[in-house]
Amino acid sequence: MTILETQELTHVFPDGTVAIRDINLKVKAGEFIVLAGANGSGKTVLARHLNGLLQPTKGRVLLHGEPVSKNPAAARRKVGLVFQDPDSQFVGQTVAEDVAFGPENLNLPPAQVERLVKEALAAVGLSQLSMQHPFALSGGEKRKLAVAGILAMKPEIIIFDEPFTGLDYPGVIQVLEVILRLHQAGRTIIVITHELEKILAHAGRLIILYQGKMVEDGTVEEVISRSEKYGVRMPLRKGEKIESLTWLK
Amino acid sequence: MVEITFLRYIHKNTVLHRMDARLKLAGMLVLSLAAGFASKWPHYAALFLVLLSAFLVARLPFKALLKDLKFFGLIIFLVLVVNAFKTPGAPFPYPGFPGFSIQGAVAGLRFAGRLIVIIMICTIMTGTTSLMTLKKALEWYLRPVPFVPEARIATMIGLTFMLIPLIFHNYREMMNAQKSRGLEGRKNPVRRIKFIVFPLLDRTLRRTEEIVYAMEARCYSEVRTRAVFQSKKSDWLLLGLCLAVFFFVIYRP
Repeated sequence: MTILETQELTHVFPDGTVAIRDINLKVKAGEFIVLAGANGSGKTVLARHLNGLLQPTKGRVLLHGEPVSKNPAAARRKVGLVFQDPDSQFVGQTVAEDVAFGPENLNLPPAQVERLVKEALAAVGLSQLSMQHPFALSGGEKRKLAVAGILAMKPEIIIFDEPFTGLDYPGVIQVLEVILRLHQAGRTIIVITHELEKILAHAGRLIILYQGKMVEDGTVEEVISRSEKYGVRMPLRKGEKIESLTWLK
Repeated sequence: MVEITFLRYIHKNTVLHRMDARLKLAGMLVLSLAAGFASKWPHYAALFLVLLSAFLVARLPFKALLKDLKFFGLIIFLVLVVNAFKTPGAPFPYPGFPGFSIQGAVAGLRFAGRLIVIIMICTIMTGTTSLMTLKKALEWYLRPVPFVPEARIATMIGLTFMLIPLIFHNYREMMNAQKSRGLEGRKNPVRRIKFIVFPLLDRTLRRTEEIVYAMEARCYSEVRTRAVFQSKKSDWLLLGLCLAVFFFVIYRP
């Protein structure tokens, strides 16, 4: 069942730069999609349209068949976006306070907010750090906190914008485990990255953007061999299987 | 970011951290007013005594804060010097300071004292109260005021407090980066400022835009869950202490 769809989605910046052009994309419930592309290919702009943060110049985004532009607040609740730089996502001065920001914006009763915060922190394994300052966390923990902040709003789809940037090996593993756990729990996952080797073994679909256009869309096996044409490193050596790419033991 | 302590919440389990934020805010406002009215040395002594005790009780990292406040040291020094030259009075006994009066120096010290007290109050308030709680306390006070968008005002103040340490952090990073590229070799102060101020402004604006997007992505709304405040006897006692200092300043000329 298609839950999220874009039709002829185009975004042109005020200076005339075309960020994305005629993107037609259908996302089915429970999918695990990797959205790849070189720097400036329009990945982040596309992601920000999917939950109504940006409004298209042309085309539209449909969530469960309803245009996102009609009710962007509802779209943001259902489509969670984890930002590339977690530092800019934090608004609280303790971990728990930051996670509570989303549910409080939904005007939920205080007891429910507290429950959602506890659940979200437990889901990412940060319960012990609930009173820490977000900036005192490690890189991996910061990403997990950013995920918890989104999880507390119970989204159906979670978009991760470059979740592995700047992380060391343990940080990558921590974030990867959280992403996989969320997918196993039934959430639809979209991971935006150009570091395919860290995630591809677990994805079902690979989409490549190039100069604002969606140039490839298919199973990982179908698309991967053509990735280098679009400035995305082909992570497989000759004879290697996609499953062998996993960073998990 | 973590190395900056000024205007940053530092979580500890102390009586000041646990204090009802509404009463704490009221207490700090009362002390700020007292600082405004203070004119004699005993007034300043009382204020400093209370605030230094608060620092100790709250277990805030005093040395780290002093380091962060170097910037204010310059402002305090300027306030002192400008007053000393501006205020007419008996000339300073040592030669070489034409226009520098004793009365001026005393007035400068008073102004500087007020400034230090205000900085200390801000530091204690933000060090022991998280921004969200501070924001909620502000909202609570503004709610009964008609035609005042309390949620918006509280958010604006909260974001300002959040951005100040970020700007400090960016400034330090940028300064180090520019120094490593030989900025100190440039003698022209205007050019030196130009190389710092414009990139800093640019970076801060970009960061602000990202924060706005991040808040929108988490359904930012002005109709939010209301905070539940509970005040204890000890909170009222602390407010009483602040009021006592205030009345001491007002009624002891």
